[in-house]
Amino acid sequence: MLWVLRRIGISVALAWLVATIVFMTLHMVPGDPAELLLSTGGTMPDPATVAELRERLGLERPLLNQYGAFLMGLARGDLGVSLIDEYPVLDEIALRLPRTLELILAGTLIAVAVALPAGTYAALHRGGLFDRIASGVAALLLAVPVFVVGTLLVLVLAQMLRVMPAGGYVPFAEDPPRHLTLLALPAIAIAKGLSAVLFRMTRASVLDSLSRDYVRTARAKGLTARRVLVRHVVRNALTPVLTVLGLHMGTLLGGTVLVEYVFNWPGLSTPLLRAVEARDYPMVVGIVLTISGLFLLINLIMDLLYAALDPRVRAS
Amino acid sequence: MKRLIIPGTLVALILLAALAAPFLGLPDPVRQDIAHRLAGPLEGSPLGRDEFGRDVLSRLVWGARTSLGVAFASALIAGIIGTAFGLIGGWFRGLGELLTVRSMDVILCFPPVLLALLVVTLMGPGAGTLILVLSVLYLPGFARVTYAEVLSARSHDYVEAVRALGAPAPRILLRTVLPNVAGPVLVQLSLAVASAVVLESGLSFLGLGVVPPAPSWGLMIRGARATMEQAPMLLFWPCAVLTLTILAMNLLCDALRDAVDPRTAGTRSRLRAVDRLLPGLLPMAKPAPGTVLSVRGLTVEIDTPRGPIRPVQDVSFDVGAGETLAIVGESGSGKSVSATALMGLLPPVARVAAGEAWLDGTELLRLPEEQMRRLRGGPMAMVFQDPMSSLNPVHRAGDQVAEAILAHRRVPRAEAWKQAEALFRHVGIADPERRLRAFPHEMSGGMKQRVMIAMALANRPKLLICDEPTTALDVTVQAQILDLLAELRRETGTAIVFITHSLGVVAEIADRVAVMYAGQVVEQGSVAEVFHNPLHPYTRALLAAVPEGDAPPAGIPGIVPPPHAFPEGCRFAPRCRHAEPRCSAGPLALEEAEPGRDVRCVRWRELARRGAEVPA
Repeated sequence: MLWVLRRIGISVALAWLVATIVFMTLHMVPGDPAELLLSTGGTMPDPATVAELRERLGLERPLLNQYGAFLMGLARGDLGVSLIDEYPVLDEIALRLPRTLELILAGTLIAVAVALPAGTYAALHRGGLFDRIASGVAALLLAVPVFVVGTLLVLVLAQMLRVMPAGGYVPFAEDPPRHLTLLALPAIAIAKGLSAVLFRMTRASVLDSLSRDYVRTARAKGLTARRVLVRHVVRNALTPVLTVLGLHMGTLLGGTVLVEYVFNWPGLSTPLLRAVEARDYPMVVGIVLTISGLFLLINLIMDLLYAALDPRVRAS
Repeated sequence: MKRLIIPGTLVALILLAALAAPFLGLPDPVRQDIAHRLAGPLEGSPLGRDEFGRDVLSRLVWGARTSLGVAFASALIAGIIGTAFGLIGGWFRGLGELLTVRSMDVILCFPPVLLALLVVTLMGPGAGTLILVLSVLYLPGFARVTYAEVLSARSHDYVEAVRALGAPAPRILLRTVLPNVAGPVLVQLSLAVASAVVLESGLSFLGLGVVPPAPSWGLMIRGARATMEQAPMLLFWPCAVLTLTILAMNLLCDALRDAVDPRTAGTRSRLRAVDRLLPGLLPMAKPAPGTVLSVRGLTVEIDTPRGPIRPVQDVSFDVGAGETLAIVGESGSGKSVSATALMGLLPPVARVAAGEAWLDGTELLRLPEEQMRRLRGGPMAMVFQDPMSSLNPVHRAGDQVAEAILAHRRVPRAEAWKQAEALFRHVGIADPERRLRAFPHEMSGGMKQRVMIAMALANRPKLLICDEPTTALDVTVQAQILDLLAELRRETGTAIVFITHSLGVVAEIADRVAVMYAGQVVEQGSVAEVFHNPLHPYTRALLAAVPEGDAPPAGIPGIVPPPHAFPEGCRFAPRCRHAEPRCSAGPLALEEAEPGRDVRCVRWRELARRGAEVPA
């Protein structure tokens, strides 16, 4: 129990660090941030506009004061308003975060459902036909960038074969089958990288587990092959796979931005990209903090799961 | 090394094309020609024109220049700064470590694309911004790898020696540590380049990376998306080139990693050969009544890159009910391989090439796996050498013992736990109710070995094979475990095969002993006879090597030959002081010296006649 509390404490500290770094980025870039945000190409921005932006971002106040206000705002859940339309950042995130979460969840589920059985099977029949084909496919999947997979899926399935919609979004409550159809391609695109990584890790981990003494003990007990596999090989192979899953969620979250763009999925990436292009700083900060916080949360959950699977972690 | 060639060549070709782009005589990649918008292959434009009538091939080659330029620049910057940070952090530890290595880890809390977008918001898109962001993103990787290598290099003797000689820290770092971290850093560098190509193209695809009209693969895909219905090939080319580049780089990374770190290189095991022709040709005598296990001519073969080897050859022995047979020999003599072969637990690369083994009228070596499984943990059980690694760390001790019971008998789970508790008490575990619920890491080594013994005894085996069960334990615990085994044998009448390298243990526990050398049994008989009157020169040498009183032990010159270099004739001849030319003439058979007493030596009669006049 103490371990869990300590792990949660670490996550909170990391969240604070992440927030601090995001805060500092604005002040660490050389030059006046307001001027920087307003400059496009080589043109010097209008001094009056710069002054106004400085005012709106609170850049005139002492740094420590700004930092305190920023943290207080975060603690209250106040992420400020958009520079473009004064729309509260938190409201925008609250509307779109569930859609992004749904996509991430669907992608992860697909990746786990494909990679764990495939990796285990490949390890058990190491060097066999399936192992060689699957390892080759995994290497290829790792090499294709996620937006290329997405674009090609649209090209082939939507444009050429016309079996799937090219993209878009319909709320689940409105039309469940249509919602799921629209979810399928982006979820598959997101799952591609993670499933390749998980396949490799599962395969390596099961192979490692197979050569362990306790697996020999399990066989020496006369357990059935199935029981040895499930309770001793896979059970022990799962912990490193879980760690890798947590670490790669970062890549997955970044990939979500690209996939949402390719498939017009109205998650967090639409306002994020719009805000980056329009240099709408508060909106970008709000979304970056949200997704980074999500990343920390996922890793916290992974670690707690890890402890549930491995009693040695709980003891230390 | 061979695996480096293909991806290495491919990456080199791509690099070369990118570097030579200005000299290839390609059309200007940014010159627009609206008249030939989306044109197919033209003269001078083998891949056609894009949505602004620009030459696709030219843009692909110049795009490589942009992508790889950004990727290499950022990877190099990250590599130089990160390696320096790692060196400083690893060498000075303390505050230096905190500032240079630990602080970097914060970067890993951000999903990479998002950190990049944050910076792009502030600084605007462009190649310069990309290089800055990417180099920051890859810093922690380099810092960590170098840091870890420095820590391990520091503990090496030669670095310690140079330090002791008073060389200043910067010089030691540069001259002794840096060459050692070069390999891992190189791997990290190739990983960073590959990953930077992915990120650069992704951001450019979003319109937030390289600024148009500069050619970039990501921008080309972005542009071609709008016209994918009319000109799908326009989309295909940059996708293909990008994927191929990343694939080649990834393969190069894998090959590099294997070359730098041989541990990760997988040696692929060959599939089992179908050669079970030899055994069964030689009929054997029925085992004597009262014998629990009778092994005849057991030979194990392992496929290696240098051809098959036979770490166990022609091993025969018998064990009766309530009897303990010790198999003694140095490491590499084939004791453990023989035992695993009997249990049917040989690794996939090894197989039984010849021989028979009878357990109570059942031939073990050619038994189908399912029937073998029923025997394992039931009538025949095994206790392994290292109790620390032989118990599964994630299951409770009681579960692991109950599992052995449930594998062979149909009893309710609660009943199995009750029996496990009785077994724990039986093997002398104090407070069994609590220990049943304990995980292996909560127990001492001796306690774990008691759990292993309880597990082995769970189904009252007729035969118990103990493979050096006390080697990994403290001396006092060793004695307790030996006492326990002796007591259990008295109570249950189980036949025990006890594998050990210690003659002291043999004297304490065994009735009979088989001495193994280089995969063969060289002598066997009752412990009293063999110890009192050894017939084989190797046995004599082993006995002389046991420290006794004040007399210094006599060592045996030389080492056990590895299986691929076993001598043709007597395998001990090269180390034997009584060796003669005829000893090496050809393979020797195990000879019956007297009933129950075998020896494998051509000169045993003469040597016995001369008596024990020479100790070894």
